[in-house]
Amino acid sequence: MNKEKKPISKTKEKTSIAQKKEDRYGWLFISPYLIFFTVFTGIPFVIAIVMSFLNVKYITRLDNLKFVGLQNFIKIFTNKEILNSLLRTFQYSLVYVPVIMILGFVLAFMLNNGIYMKKAMRSLVFMPYVSNMVAVAVIFKVLLGNNSPMIIALRNMGFNPPLLLQSLKLALPTVAMISVWKSVGLNMVVYLGALQEVPSELLEAAQIDGATKWQRVRNIIIPMISPTTFFLLISSIIGSFQNFTCIQALTEGGPGQATTVMAVNIVRTAFTKYETSLASAMAFVMFVIVMIVTLIQWRGQKKWVNY
Amino acid sequence: MKSKKKSIKIALTVFILLIGLASNFPFLFMISSSFKVSGEVMKFPWHLIPDNPTMMNFKALFTNGIYNFQKWYFNTVVMTALTIAIKIFFVSFTAYGFARIKFRGKDAIFLVLLSAMMIPGDIMIIPRYMIFKNLHILDSMWALILPSCVDVYFVFLLRQSFISIPDSISEAAKIDGCSHLKIYWKIIFPLAKPAIATMALFSFTWSWNDYMGPYLYISTMDKQMLSVGVKLFSSGLIQDYGAQMAAATVVLLPILVAFLFCQKFFIEGVASSGVKG
Repeated sequence: MNKEKKPISKTKEKTSIAQKKEDRYGWLFISPYLIFFTVFTGIPFVIAIVMSFLNVKYITRLDNLKFVGLQNFIKIFTNKEILNSLLRTFQYSLVYVPVIMILGFVLAFMLNNGIYMKKAMRSLVFMPYVSNMVAVAVIFKVLLGNNSPMIIALRNMGFNPPLLLQSLKLALPTVAMISVWKSVGLNMVVYLGALQEVPSELLEAAQIDGATKWQRVRNIIIPMISPTTFFLLISSIIGSFQNFTCIQALTEGGPGQATTVMAVNIVRTAFTKYETSLASAMAFVMFVIVMIVTLIQWRGQKKWVNY
Repeated sequence: MKSKKKSIKIALTVFILLIGLASNFPFLFMISSSFKVSGEVMKFPWHLIPDNPTMMNFKALFTNGIYNFQKWYFNTVVMTALTIAIKIFFVSFTAYGFARIKFRGKDAIFLVLLSAMMIPGDIMIIPRYMIFKNLHILDSMWALILPSCVDVYFVFLLRQSFISIPDSISEAAKIDGCSHLKIYWKIIFPLAKPAIATMALFSFTWSWNDYMGPYLYISTMDKQMLSVGVKLFSSGLIQDYGAQMAAATVVLLPILVAFLFCQKFFIEGVASSGVKG
């Protein structure tokens, strides 16, 4: 007993010296990053929250600060224009999220089911993901515009195609679909990675037991990849709220207010209407919504995600 | 049975090929149109190959008197290159700390960083404006470079890839008296090159394509970036379709070419490590 104890305490002493050295090195390695993180993420986050309870008007004039309580938030929930932009954000998500989730899965499923030149096909669908949204918007505006060869072709065939980006009703779903086109490759690739992990013995066993293809998808594949679905769902919902670039590039919030979603409205409120605190409060509301979505998913995950 | 399977495979391949081509049609349209005179871009019926191919649009892009396109291009190249260079070292250095050093407080800090990943970027735009102003980097490319180096996502991904390198390799070096700095630089960094390449490529696309950053934080025309520039350009020359397409082409081409040559890092980088979070 005694013999054993001694070496242990000795190593303990040793590790504590070594541990101190490790601590020093650890902080040496991470402190530059932590400083940057604090300056560009930590402090801004705190400022954002504090500012939404103040009365800052012009972003560079910080004199005359006053605590106004919930006044900015009351304004958000009583101002029709802001509420409408919030509603449009949800409408956008309601188009974007289901389409990108289903399309991403279907494409991955087809790719995984054995096709020729799988890698080349995968790249082909992924390509728009890396493209520049503003340049892409230039192309789409021409393609969907009044004189575009596609529109003329359709007219010659006797159709009367609407000008999608200039229609009050269709502009928002169109922008969402262009966004899906751009990002679906990412969902597909992530799903593809998950599908390849589904053990083939399991599928073969089910096939021998007489499960139809649809049953195999429903009862084996979908449950097996549910962690991926969970991950993609959250990131797609959060991604769908961050649609400033896509909308600013394609429609700038128009026609009228048809595509003025929260992200566009926040920038407008802060940088052209100079109501900095109100804009901060709007961003804070979006942050809370994202948190709620994440929490609901987190809870739900335990129920429907099978590892 | 076998021939039936084969025909399904062919049908599926053709189907996906059609989807892929359709989804890349905008790029084909763009490249083809950039070599057409403006009147021909909208001509019906449409031709993929221009009737009279011309370089006029590209020449006009870089020689017109109103828009300083070459300056925007130069700015974007410099900004993107600096971002990638700084990020490669900065992020991998930090990731090493989190992956290979067992210091106290590590897990708590890492948890804070991870939860920060969920903060939507929109909430940062106004406070960051103030911070940039106080650091005197507003209206300079540093306002775009420095925040993008604080990329939690890639700290996380590189940490994963550093952890997967067996301990025995660095243990041997440690016994030989190597410090952490040396192990990082001589052993871990070279071994993790594929993951670092993935990060470099994604950083390239994100910085090159960033619109919101330059739109909000850069006001001087000569300091502006391509994304904002191409929008100014296209709304200034609204009828000149050929010129617009040429502008879109020079913005998109570097990134599409980079993708075509490095697809492996792009796609496998996402597929292998993207979901583990």
